[in-house]
Amino acid sequence: MSKKYDTPLLDELEKGPWPSFVTEIKKAAKKSEMANDELGQVEKSYRTKRGYWKHGGIVGVLGYGGGVIGRYSSLPEEFPGVAHFHTVRINQPSGFYYSSKALREICDIWDKYGSGLTNVHGSTGDLVLLGTTTSALEPLFAEYSSRGWDLGGSGSAMRTPSCCLGQSRCEWANIDTMEICHQLTHKFQDEMHRPAYPYKFKIKVAGCAVDCVAAIARADCSIIGTWKGKIAVDQDAVKAYAKGGMNIQAEIVDMCPTRCMSYDGNALSVDDGECSRCMHCISKMTKALKPTGEKGVSILIGSKAPIVVGSLLSWVIVPFMKVEPPYDDLEGIIRKIIEWWDETAKPRERIGEVIEIKGMRGFLEAIGVPPVPQQIKEPRKDPFFFWKEEDLTK
Amino acid sequence: MMDANELKDKIFAYVEAAKGKKKLKEKDIINGVSTEVGAEKDVVKKAMREMIDIGKLMYSYGGGASSVEIPSEEYLREKGLIK
Repeated sequence: MSKKYDTPLLDELEKGPWPSFVTEIKKAAKKSEMANDELGQVEKSYRTKRGYWKHGGIVGVLGYGGGVIGRYSSLPEEFPGVAHFHTVRINQPSGFYYSSKALREICDIWDKYGSGLTNVHGSTGDLVLLGTTTSALEPLFAEYSSRGWDLGGSGSAMRTPSCCLGQSRCEWANIDTMEICHQLTHKFQDEMHRPAYPYKFKIKVAGCAVDCVAAIARADCSIIGTWKGKIAVDQDAVKAYAKGGMNIQAEIVDMCPTRCMSYDGNALSVDDGECSRCMHCISKMTKALKPTGEKGVSILIGSKAPIVVGSLLSWVIVPFMKVEPPYDDLEGIIRKIIEWWDETAKPRERIGEVIEIKGMRGFLEAIGVPPVPQQIKEPRKDPFFFWKEEDLTK
Repeated sequence: MMDANELKDKIFAYVEAAKGKKKLKEKDIINGVSTEVGAEKDVVKKAMREMIDIGKLMYSYGGGASSVEIPSEEYLREKGLIK
């Protein structure tokens, strides 16, 4: 397919040593009319400083309320190839593991029905297919589902749960993130495909507080692997780090958020009762420090990006919970959380916003979680004096 | 107890009455119809889902929120449900 448009502004984005989405769209444009017209429309957007995409509406596959995001060009006569340019979300495998055969299968089907452009992966976690037409949706879905793939979540629904690669490759993972994610995805199938919530609800599972899946910044419900025991210290390995040039006082002790560590120039010690399990020291001194004792999860609530109002970070509500397959206890608490939110929220309110408005007290009472010191978000902001009428009469 | 088809007619009428006035979420329909006809919420939900599965109702999306609507002829034609 020949080049249709001059794109001097987009060409600027190919300069430098970085990967360029423009280069990738140009590659796709050699065999896709859609990708070709996308280049033309995006170049025009850069030139006129306005967007030409329309979003939403009635697109999807029969019976599903999510997985397809309707996108149309507002200039269909000028750019007919992108008159329809819908996004399709494919539920990713836990930990983003694919065989090359699976990736070829996904791309072969996509080349047949869409622009050939993908986003692997979108920030939601799904494998995102960019640009198809309304008429292609049903046959495209039929082909993917016949090979065992399913659509992810979109709209006012449970979004596709996602996780870090956990114990499959990471020695820091305290929990089997991939199995938790897989099980929760199956348990919430109905809620993913049938949007019934006030707004979106995201679950992300991280193996430890390093949080490679960015749960604390983006998930309504963050499930973070943690431990109950002490941090085991190998003093010989500590000495080896010091000998290797690490400034243990500055890089480890002084950067501990709870100041629970001390170093006398020879030995490193930890006051485990004060440790918040942030993982900073362990991730820096992997060979010298490791968690011990019982492993489980912390459950945090309420983070979101700044769409309707400002961004929020997750807030600890359950400091430690032991979890085991098939994770019914975890499912139970998530369902209680969602039930309160669904009953309390106005349309387009995320759970973090509702807690900010209504208060943590009512939320914790509704989900049956007692107030504990670990829930205190920051010094001198303690919302956990739950005085009731009967307390006042005592 | 209300016949299943009769219940589906009630659900359709409820959605039709809101057309152009209010975007209805699943929960609005379940709560509204359940109160109106005295049926269990789960029964209303099941009937509504069956209607969505055959294209009698459909999910829509706009303004950041999902809703349930009566499908247009264009939608039904595109899904091969009418000619």
